[in-house]
Amino acid sequence: MPSTVANKGIVKRGGKRPSEPFNPHKLHVSVRAACLSVRTPDGEAEMTAAAVTNAVITWLHAKTEVTSRDLRRIAGGHLRTFHPEAAYLYEQHTNIM
Amino acid sequence: MAKQKYDYDLIIIGSGAGGSAAATLAAHDGKRVAIIEADTFGGDSPNYSDVPTKALLHAAQLYDEARHGARFGLRSNTMGYNYPSLGAWKDLAVKRTGAGGNNKYYEQQGIDTYHATAHFLTPNEVSINRRHLSAERFLIATGSHWVPPQVQGLDTVSYLTPRTILDILKPPKSLYIIGGGTTGVEIAQLLSIFGTKVYIAEIAGRLLPSYDAEAGDVLEKLLHEQKGVTVLTHTRTLAIEKENIAKRVTYTRGGTEHSLRVDEVMIAAGRAPNVDLGLENAGVEYTAKGIDVDAHLQTTAKHIYAAGDVLGRHGFTHTALLESRIAAHNLFTKSKMTPDYTATPRLVFTYPGVASVGLSEDDCLKRDLHIKKATAPLNIIARSNTSDFRDGFVKLISDKRGVLLGATIVAPHAAELIHELALALKHNMTAGDVAITPHAFLSWSEAIRVAAAKLS
Repeated sequence: MPSTVANKGIVKRGGKRPSEPFNPHKLHVSVRAACLSVRTPDGEAEMTAAAVTNAVITWLHAKTEVTSRDLRRIAGGHLRTFHPEAAYLYEQHTNIM
Repeated sequence: MAKQKYDYDLIIIGSGAGGSAAATLAAHDGKRVAIIEADTFGGDSPNYSDVPTKALLHAAQLYDEARHGARFGLRSNTMGYNYPSLGAWKDLAVKRTGAGGNNKYYEQQGIDTYHATAHFLTPNEVSINRRHLSAERFLIATGSHWVPPQVQGLDTVSYLTPRTILDILKPPKSLYIIGGGTTGVEIAQLLSIFGTKVYIAEIAGRLLPSYDAEAGDVLEKLLHEQKGVTVLTHTRTLAIEKENIAKRVTYTRGGTEHSLRVDEVMIAAGRAPNVDLGLENAGVEYTAKGIDVDAHLQTTAKHIYAAGDVLGRHGFTHTALLESRIAAHNLFTKSKMTPDYTATPRLVFTYPGVASVGLSEDDCLKRDLHIKKATAPLNIIARSNTSDFRDGFVKLISDKRGVLLGATIVAPHAAELIHELALALKHNMTAGDVAITPHAFLSWSEAIRVAAAKLS
């Protein structure tokens, strides 16, 4: 994990839940899970999750603190270019479940 | 004292023209104001665009005039320049504005300053360096940034922008500029005066496509004939690749592919608003073109206003200042004001300068307006003789009744001349009103009287 990434703060649920440092692994796992949920092959899901996580890390570069909603929006936006169905599930899973 | 609900009455994000005027006005009104700047205090205009560019252009134009003074009997063959000293002059001009890179300018007015990137967490709260600040109202004035065009290989080579080119240590031997708008043309003239071979590529059919056609044509002719600039209109840049320490540019023009080798490439083909500040968390709607505001500059979040380049409209410092003042008024009063853009001048600080106000001929055609137009070439007035300058014109457009709708000037000191016509437009004056106003003999503004007389 790049050292700069660990310094990024994530404000959860508009501050209603305790903030936590950005965890790229957590993001990677959630994107991968969304891909696997729409029956993406394991290898492709892994590659997509890595690409999306890298894009989010790049976006976070100039920021110190963002909300979990921002992360979901940015990750969802990048995921949409790779896998629109997985992106839909990733963005809407809290409404669906 | 009772604890305040918010840290500030107003937080302004961005300290450029769109933010600074509002900050000053609100602070003078006794409001608790904070200003957050992610880049250099003062914003783009005093630090990286208007002020440094015009300071360098002034020096360049003096040098150019002097070099060509032989026709007036001046001996100027040994004229030279020292580019680092020109850079020092530019830095002095920036420093003298008082606003450039100077947060004390704001602090002296009781405005708290924060040098950080702001990010909305909730509608009334922003995060700066993981510190949370809240305010009852916000003004977003984050400005815009240069966007690299879609050109193959551009991401693999180093390129200049109108911001970075001002800091080069010496003029490059050759320069390829993508974008023939205001900034591209100004930089083309600046560096060509100092000996750079400039190629300027514009996708439209002429330079300065947002101005009247004649303005772009005159400037193209002068840049080509007097400064040796190669003007590539109808040109799409396809690819840029590294070639040793230089760059090879491939472009298409007239259906044919060409390539050339240049030392540097500069992109000046468009700007995009800075909207990546968590606007979704504040309920502010926006597009890639800018933040959506109503006629009073209010965003979709009622307590948040926006002003300046972030609206994606005009991109002029004077427009941003106007919007900033209007926003400052509307933020704290119930009687809202609306910015009036009718008489906003558009300027190019080349020599000769280009200035326009109101509608261009193309604008009138698009609106299906019945117009009258008249053009007065500069060479028919006495000043062109005494200054030995014959290119340029004043063009006026009016409706059938003679009420002025628009004007374009290509002339020395065009930026000063245009304001007479801006005033006339603002107050619905006719060409006849302008024509009967005495204009001093041997002033460039005689051409305005001549053009107005032709229309009336």
